[in-house]
This record gives sequence, structure tokens and C-alpha cells, in this order.
Amino acid sequence: MPERRLLRDWDTQTHVRETHSEMTDFGEACKDRGKANNTATLAAKALSESAGLLRAPQRVLPLIRRLVSDKIRVTFEQTHLYSYTAAKRPSGEMLRACIAWILNAQRPDGGIAAYYSLLTGYSESYPEVTGYIVPTLYDFARTPNQSGSVLAPERAIRWLLSLQKPEGAFPGGLGCADAAPSVFNTGQILRGLVRAHGETNRSDVLQSASAAGKWLLQMQQPDGSWSGLGAYQRAAHSYYSMVAWSLAELSEHTGDRQYAIGAGRNLDWTLSHFRPSGWVDGIHLQGHSNYLHFIAYVLQGVLECGILQRRADAIDAVAKSAWVLLRKFETNKHLPGAFDRDFNGAQRFTCLTGNAQMSCVWLRLFEITDDLRYLNAALKMNEMLKQLIPSRGGPGIAGGVSGSFPVWGRYQPLRYISWGCKFFADALLSEQRLTRSFDMREFTVLSCAS
Amino acid sequence: MRIVILSSSVYGETACAMALRMARLGYIPAGTLALRTLDRSTLLRKFGQWGGRGVARYARMKLMPNDGEGQGQVQNLYLMPLLKNGGGVFRSLHEVAHAYDFPVVSCADQNAPGAIALLKDWSPDLIIFTGGNILRQPLLNVPRLGVLNVHLGLLPRIRGMSTPEWSLLKNVPIGITIHYMDAGIDTGPILQSYQFSEASCCSLSDLRNRLIAFGVERIAEVVKALDEGSISATPQSDLDRDHQFFVMHDWLQERAAERLADSWEAFPGTVHG
Repeated sequence: MPERRLLRDWDTQTHVRETHSEMTDFGEACKDRGKANNTATLAAKALSESAGLLRAPQRVLPLIRRLVSDKIRVTFEQTHLYSYTAAKRPSGEMLRACIAWILNAQRPDGGIAAYYSLLTGYSESYPEVTGYIVPTLYDFARTPNQSGSVLAPERAIRWLLSLQKPEGAFPGGLGCADAAPSVFNTGQILRGLVRAHGETNRSDVLQSASAAGKWLLQMQQPDGSWSGLGAYQRAAHSYYSMVAWSLAELSEHTGDRQYAIGAGRNLDWTLSHFRPSGWVDGIHLQGHSNYLHFIAYVLQGVLECGILQRRADAIDAVAKSAWVLLRKFETNKHLPGAFDRDFNGAQRFTCLTGNAQMSCVWLRLFEITDDLRYLNAALKMNEMLKQLIPSRGGPGIAGGVSGSFPVWGRYQPLRYISWGCKFFADALLSEQRLTRSFDMREFTVLSCAS
Repeated sequence: MRIVILSSSVYGETACAMALRMARLGYIPAGTLALRTLDRSTLLRKFGQWGGRGVARYARMKLMPNDGEGQGQVQNLYLMPLLKNGGGVFRSLHEVAHAYDFPVVSCADQNAPGAIALLKDWSPDLIIFTGGNILRQPLLNVPRLGVLNVHLGLLPRIRGMSTPEWSLLKNVPIGITIHYMDAGIDTGPILQSYQFSEASCCSLSDLRNRLIAFGVERIAEVVKALDEGSISATPQSDLDRDHQFFVMHDWLQERAAERLADSWEAFPGTVHG
């Protein structure tokens, strides 16, 4: 039944199932079925998660350890204006720990788990994240002095190819090949396919990427957005700029202009949602906060797509928003986990994956503008993140990036999430690359939004 | 000219040197308002930042700033000529105040209503800021002329923190700016700017120390000129552009130090001025 499949898709697509405001928020899809029903479902879900501890009591100790550790850290957290503390662990060691976490999360089917829950352990394989982790794994394997293997991304790609639908789309949700097609997840997986073809030159991978790209173009609305079937909550979202980035990459890779045109149309649509304050409208996630993760998605997608399409207007728009967030980070030592419109109403917890994504955005902006303040902020952000990642613990914990800090924060509570590791590994890889190639040329100060 | 000095600590060397310089120029401070050296919130914050050993070291440094082998020494050697006191040195604002007879008051927050009331009692023409809180408008409104700050960079090009280091990395001339403070970060009207050659500096801390000492000397000239009415402030241009810089990460500081070392090797022994 299509509607039922769609509901399941809502429940699992684009991390949103996991982005609920409380542990008791699980089962967002049930909202439409009435509040009483919803509360019962949420309670059942929370109970079910908690029951994970009964099935595996060995998880109690790591859970308590992390809760106590975060409580102590929150109590004594430094709030001193303009201060920052350097982490003891070097970036290279931290990067290896993050990659080890990802490799441990690779399931027997080749997919990467969405998360490791302190209550229930590893989740099923998650196609979306498996797709866009592929470039990270290849980047690590190609890094000098690292012993990364290309076997893991190749296994991941093999699994992804087995999930692709005849029309070219990939399913939303966790590990279920029969789930409804998802625009966002297809776009994210497309990045992995494009990179994998670049690395392996396999024709079946290229065919798969082209089929995915064509399906995305078919699903695109005349205004350049994606809404309706295949879009989360059937609404158009500005964070689908990540899909535009994938299309722009596919176009660069294949030389086929039709993908670039589709990417450009979405870029125009997304840019129309940037406000003078730097805020981006159109995230449009009903029932969810505007988590930093999604704001950073918009910025990263627009920036990378803008770079590929040589669009100065896109780069300027992102620079303005990124500068607002940079100032907030520099003066508060962390970025809030969620915001209201115009960056107001900042919430107290931190969304770690959003922080790592912003580090990626700042590093990229440094790369293209030479403004050292972006590099400075990213280096400090990486220091902050390094301090919040456990160096000890079993697989699923050591080297893992939790959804929130403190770990009970609203974004992905009590979970170490694979996309958090992916973005932090990306940030550390960029840091290594840029600091290695840093020369003492004269750096100019470009005008940023104040 | 009635002058008040704000400091981040009664042990602040810069504040002591500033008070001495003003007093010897004939402007004995009407008072000095310093932040408490060891208050609970600071210690808790430092504990989270540095851990127990770091806090112990911090507390020892604050309580016994010239303890042990540092007895009779100062951290910034370039302030030594000002801080000399017979065979020893002035080690706190209390000692300077004792010599020149002015009050020293400690507080937890310089913007607090009690602190503002005290400052109003002192009715200063000028406040000289050597450290402390970010100043809010009620405090900025207290002095007749304004609150002076020595900024270790050339405004308006380099605002904010780690300014000598940022100047080095961005090839902006090193220097200081004496300006009135306003509600923004280093955006107030400029009284005087001075360039400074870094070629004689062997390290970033050496550069910083020299700039601080240079600033204490130059601010004395500016205060005198203000008293004589021979100087006026100019609003900053370029305020629409964001020239604010933030605390520099260690890795970039190392690059700034390398650039400083390059200039030192190129021009060893060059005299600043």
C-alpha cells in the first residue's frame, strides 16, 4: 500500500526519524493519527528502546559513564569569552578513531549502521549514510601516511547497488529495500556512486549513478525544488541543496549538462530562501526544530554546488550565513543545537554533527576566500569536538560522535551517529589537507557580513 | 584631569605601570577598580578549562605573583623601569596606591550597579581600561570624556583579539591604537595610532610585552594632550566592514611566530620606535 509505505518512509527518511525533540519523541510519523494515539506510540517506542538495556545489561555501565561524564562537563564547561582549550589528542589520531568507528559500524551486508544507541546497540544499515560515507572512506584511503583500505567503500557500494529501484531511485529508511523512493536519500547516495566510479571506473556504478540522476531530474518541480512524492512530508526543503550538489558533481563527472541545469535550478530556488540576516527559510520540517544539522546541510549544499557552478552569488550567500554562525561560535564556544528564525531562540544543547558540518563549511570558505578567520574557527571547532569524543569504550562508543552534547540533548539522544563521524572525519581530513598545503602567502581579509 | 583605572586584577602589572606612569605625570588616579582575583565563578570556570592542577597553578600565581624564583621580578621586563620601587618592584595596585594615596577597590563585576555608583562618586574625566569585563553602556557613560583603551593593533583594520598575531599573518603593520571605547568591539573613535617595528622582537610574547610597554608610554602622551585640549578623536571609518578577529588557534600562532622569526632574522637588532 503506497500510503503505508510513505508513512514508513516518513518515519525513517533523512535522519528525521531520529531528530526528535526528546527520547519520547520517537515515532513522529504517528502525529497525524491523533495525539492520544501518538503519545501511546511514543511511550511504547521509548519503552522498547529502554528495554534494550534489559536485553544487553552490559550497556548499563557505558551509559552511566557517559551520562556522568557529560553532567560533569556541562557543570564546569568553559564559558569564558574568547577562550578555547586545545585538545590533547592530535587530529591524525582522532581521524583514525573516527574512521575505525565507521568501519566497526559496517554491517555484514556492507551497509553502515545509522547509529549505535547506548540503549539498543547498533541500528540496521542505513542506505543514505552508507552512500555519502563512501567519499570519506576513499579520502581517508588516499591520505598520505594512513593505512586506509578501499575494501570498505567497495563493500558499501555493492550493497547500495542491490537496493536501487528500477526507476533509478533509492529507498528511504533503514535497511529496507522495499521502502518508498526518497529524493534526498537518492541524492546523498549519488555522491557515493559518483566518487566510487571515479575510483573504480566500474560501468555498473556509472549506470547506477546516471539512473539516480535521471530519476532526480524527473522528480524535480518546475520551480527547481523537490516536493510531493519522494520528498519528506511531501514538502519542498531548502536542505535538499545537498541533492543539487550531487547533481552538479554528476554533471562534472559525466560532462552531461542536464544534471548541471537541474542543480542550477535548485540552487536558484534555495538562494531565494536566504534572508538578509543570513538565516535560511524553507527547511520546512513540520514538528521538528531547525537543527543545526539541517542549517549546515543547506549551507554545505549551496556552497559546494555554487563552487562547482562558479556561482559567486551562492558563495556570497553562504559566506554571510557562515559568518553569523562563526561569530556565535567564537563568542559562545559552541553552536546551539537548534535555532528559531533569524538565528534567534538558540537552544542550550549542541548538535555535534552540525558543528562538524560547519567546520567543513568554514574550511571550504577558507580554501576559496583565503580568509584565515574561517580556518581559525574550524581549527578551534575541531579542538572542541575532539574533546567530546570518547577515546575509550567498545565498538560503537570509542571514536564515536554523539548526536548531541550533552548526550541527552534533543538531537539523537543517547546515540553515536554515523553521519556525525562522517562529517567530523571530513572536517579533520580537510584540516590536514589545508594545513599541510598552508603557505605563508599574504592573506587578505574579505568583507564578511557583520 | 581626574583619572580612574580599571584592571582585571590588583596584581595586574599593566595596571600598576599605568597608575605609576599617570601619577608621575601628575595625574594621581582618583581610584582604581579591579576585578577580584579569586572568585568562585572564575575558579569553577578555570577548573573546567584546565583541571585541578591548572587551577592550583592559577591560584598560586594570583595569590603569590612573585613567589619563588620570580621574587622581585616582573613578567613584562619592558615595564620594569616603571615598576621599580627602590631595590624592589611594585607588585600590586595596593602598593602603588599606598605610595601615591589613592583608593583601590575590588569587585566581581565592573558593570554592576555598585561599581557604577562608586565610579560616579569618583567623578572621573577619563577612565583608562587595562583589563576586566566587557564594558556596558552605563559604565561607558560615567566619565566626562570617555573610557580610553590601548588596542594592540592598528584600527580599524584589526579589531578584536590576538591582534599582533593577526597583524603578522595578514601582513598588516604592527602597532597600537589609543581610542575611546564604545559598545562595539574596538569600534570607538580613535585618538592616536602608532606603528611599531617588530623586527627587534624575538618571540610573540616579547612582541606583546613591548607593545604593552609602548602603549603605557604613549597613553601618557595622549592623556596630557587631552588635558591640554590639543587632541581630538576621529570616528572610525570602515565600520560597515567586519574587521573583527578572534583568539588565534595555537597552530596559526605558530605560523605567526615563524613570520616574526623571519623578520627578526632579516633585520636582527633593529630598534623599534
